Amino acid sequence: MKRRLLSWILILLLAVPLLTSCGQTQTQGENTIKPDTTSVAPNQPDTPKADEKVVLTMGSWRADDKAQMDKLLAQYTAEVAPNVEIVFQPTNPPDYNATLRLQLENGTGPDLMYARSYATGLELFEAGYFGDCTNIPGILDNFSDSNLAPWRTPDGKMFAVPFAAVSHAVYYNKDIFDAAGVSIPKTWEEFIQVCETLKSKGYTPLANGLADEWDILECFFLGMLPNYVGGADQRVLYENGTKALNDQNFVDAYTDIASIKPYLPSGFEAVTYNDSQALFSSQGAAMFVDGSWTISVYDDVDFNWGVFAIPARAGKETLITFHPDMAITYNNASKYKKEAMDFLAWLCTEEGVKKASASLPTGFFPMIKFQITLEDVHANEFLALNNGRKTDARFVWPALMDLYTPMDQAVISVIKGDISPQQAADNVNNSRQ
Amino acid sequence: MHSSYNRLEPRGFYWFLYTIPALLVYIFFMAYPLLDSIRLSMYSGTYSNMTFVGLENFRKIFFDSEVSTRYVNALLNTVVFFLYHMLVQNVLGIIFAVLLTQRGKERRNSIYQTIIFIPTTLAILVTGYLWKLILNPVWSKNLLDAIGLSALAQPWLGKESTALTAVSLVSCWQWVGIPMMMFVAALRNISEDIFEAANIEGANRWQVFWRIQLPLIKPVVGIVAILTFVNNFNAFDVVFAMETANGAPGYSTDILGTLFYRVGIAGQHPIGIPNPGLGAAIATITFLMLIAGVIPVLLKTRTKE
Amino acid sequence: MDSVRRKKSRLFGKKAGIASSLILFVWSAIVIFPLWVMFINSFKDRLSIYKNPFWLPEKWNFKNYTNVLKEGNYLVYFRNSFLVVFLSIFIVLVLGSLVAYALANWKGSIPNILYFIFIAGMMLPIRIASIRLLGIMKSIKLINTIWSLLPIYTAMGLPIAVFVLTEYMRQFPKELMEAAHVDGAGRLKILVRVVMPMMRPALATVAIYNLVPFWNDLWFPLIMISEENQKTLLLGVTRLFGQYQTDWSMVLAVLSLSALPVILLYIFMSKQFIKGLTAGALKG
Repeated sequence: MKRRLLSWILILLLAVPLLTSCGQTQTQGENTIKPDTTSVAPNQPDTPKADEKVVLTMGSWRADDKAQMDKLLAQYTAEVAPNVEIVFQPTNPPDYNATLRLQLENGTGPDLMYARSYATGLELFEAGYFGDCTNIPGILDNFSDSNLAPWRTPDGKMFAVPFAAVSHAVYYNKDIFDAAGVSIPKTWEEFIQVCETLKSKGYTPLANGLADEWDILECFFLGMLPNYVGGADQRVLYENGTKALNDQNFVDAYTDIASIKPYLPSGFEAVTYNDSQALFSSQGAAMFVDGSWTISVYDDVDFNWGVFAIPARAGKETLITFHPDMAITYNNASKYKKEAMDFLAWLCTEEGVKKASASLPTGFFPMIKFQITLEDVHANEFLALNNGRKTDARFVWPALMDLYTPMDQAVISVIKGDISPQQAADNVNNSRQ
Repeated sequence: MHSSYNRLEPRGFYWFLYTIPALLVYIFFMAYPLLDSIRLSMYSGTYSNMTFVGLENFRKIFFDSEVSTRYVNALLNTVVFFLYHMLVQNVLGIIFAVLLTQRGKERRNSIYQTIIFIPTTLAILVTGYLWKLILNPVWSKNLLDAIGLSALAQPWLGKESTALTAVSLVSCWQWVGIPMMMFVAALRNISEDIFEAANIEGANRWQVFWRIQLPLIKPVVGIVAILTFVNNFNAFDVVFAMETANGAPGYSTDILGTLFYRVGIAGQHPIGIPNPGLGAAIATITFLMLIAGVIPVLLKTRTKE
Repeated sequence: MDSVRRKKSRLFGKKAGIASSLILFVWSAIVIFPLWVMFINSFKDRLSIYKNPFWLPEKWNFKNYTNVLKEGNYLVYFRNSFLVVFLSIFIVLVLGSLVAYALANWKGSIPNILYFIFIAGMMLPIRIASIRLLGIMKSIKLINTIWSLLPIYTAMGLPIAVFVLTEYMRQFPKELMEAAHVDGAGRLKILVRVVMPMMRPALATVAIYNLVPFWNDLWFPLIMISEENQKTLLLGVTRLFGQYQTDWSMVLAVLSLSALPVILLYIFMSKQFIKGLTAGALKG
């Protein structure tokens, strides 16, 4: 009896490793399809290098761009580095930071990966996971200082190669504007007037909502904030404490964002970012304050639309929030550092960026110094907003990231009418350590 | 007869053999990683750079006003979230189970049983999206107007006063199938004879339920209550899918699971630098609360036997 | 006299019958409406969902489904999910039954301690252990394969299995085991031949209880697997979630298909379940 029991247990104990070894043989089988240089090389030292194909992986939060990036990376293999294949493995965006970090901490991270700008990226570099990109040929010459800044350490090292920037503006439905007899507003006061007219004619003026929380801050409030506080030179004064975060400029900004409440969709508290896009594209709202990344969403809508800059108050200068968004770096622990750095060097050349921007989704703008022409009409319309205007990154990104959440909550509460603009400004100022 | 059985009763070591395979898997893939992670609650910093800080993380949770505001809020929301499941999900589960164990309607019963269980099988990713669509007046207003329920066209998920209730009810909707199943199984085990007797006594449906069925399924009620307690104190997905990891609006749906995720796993958007030590401390306190809640109940049922 | 009473209680039963039918009908409507929304919207385009979210599409779009079937990847994802989930559940049931059988019969304080050790696993979010699990999987070379999920799911399922099965096993009439033992059956044989068949409802409960979280788990595949042909279905679906836009019509199509096997399995199991109950002599 006991023997039978023991044999039973033995079978069970064997079952687990057996199943697991099953998995191993399976992966080994796959590895033979894509040979691994380190395992092949020592056995066959005579194999010519050209025959070996190195497979690199690239991590990204841009799951939307899978098709475009596959195309770009295939182009790189075909035209530049025949022995290198780069596989694009995006993660869905809400999970990117968390999973990338876990993988890097365990040494299972991708060889190449998208790097967030400023503090988030910097922290991963200082922890030793991101490679040093300072010596990649062309990086220091072909990008402007302001475009390098988001991925530069305080002591001047580069931890990623700048890849694309995004812009912020107001999308508007030209057909509705014509029907309602309104035109592009030049000042904030005119903007509110346009909203009022649209509302009186039965349209929902704005598609924005509060449910997802990030978009009302990142797209709308930080999009308009430079109109109140000024450009990069002024931002620095807030960062170093010369100016207070509850000064008149900020109170004005909170006052104006609070004044949009009547023009939001009914039930705006539960309107998600996805709902806002759907509202604008189904002509359920006349305007949507959003980022350039959304351009391609409206490729096939059956109405005419355009973009205009979020206007400043009368007598103030209108600025554009043009935000450095994506950069690419390599894994310090990668087996194929050289191949990865070669790819990054290609992204620092005019040739590489031309190819890349042809594949980049519309609404993501190349950051290199060379003149790159874009094909999409709306993308060019967006870029044209920069002409003759000062631009800056999103206010909190460079140095005040800790204020992101307090400012987000302040904006939401002030729109709902729970607190006054002065209170909103004070709350944010007080949460500064 | 009883004594002969006892005479053959094997010793403890024999029974221990039965538990070895499970123990190996459990210790290696669950107990060790969990205990090791609890250890992290004594540290601060990120994984690449951890420093020992003793009980500092626990002190922060209770006394550092910035952290404790969020923690107390999440704890209270979790309690509310749990009570909704206890009162709505489990009570509905019992009601459905009683209705679906009526004799003579097997076909109808099995159809309803299947329907009620279906949401349980769906990914929360989908059910969350569907309910966000339905509960959003922007999309549902026309439909509600058409059926004369215009008053229901409210941003339920966007108001601080209603969001937690709405999310809890969606979660109850999704999971009610599980307690229902467990109660159905228990009710079917009640002998026919008892009902016959009750019927002859002239007891009505209500009396049959309170006097006969409920006392007989008490052990299962206990199991269900414990599972509800444990699962909902660790709930995360439904809030994450419907109200983001922040527990929007204004942290009104922030529960311990989302707070833990934000602090310990993902880090606050958009910086995303997690604090695994503080996260581990949050989970450890939840763990202690659950142990404190569950063990007395189990011991009580144990001693009764 | 007796017959009058009977009649009375039946009359009452009829009224209650109407009420119960009404409750069940209303709840079913609340369940079916979102399913309807899921189904019809899976035949729309990304943005046309919002033109009329609760009614039939103006133009039926079958592309979502043909894409799923055409793209071989989804079938691979599907196979992966199926394999890992069902193997895990099978192992959980086998290991869990052995433990429960032992704990229910073993006297003394050690089984109580073991029991608490096992169920303590239900009380911590396993996500907290992600980093260690990732390290373990890396060291036993399971990372980036679906097999890394097998031991994790097994360990995740064991606490509930031990908890539910032990509680049921305790209720199990000792006389039946005794009788079998007197007939000369070994203890393992008693477990397999006598106890397990009558435990079917409990086993089904554990299976279903675990099936849902395993099948719908996204977290562990997300951190363990980046290899295309090792992805699970839900992880594969997340490819459709962009940074700023999500193709919900496609997501709904894939997830409608993914829900089907679980629903079918449930229908199949619940029949088994009822059969097991009517055949069994286990009374409360």
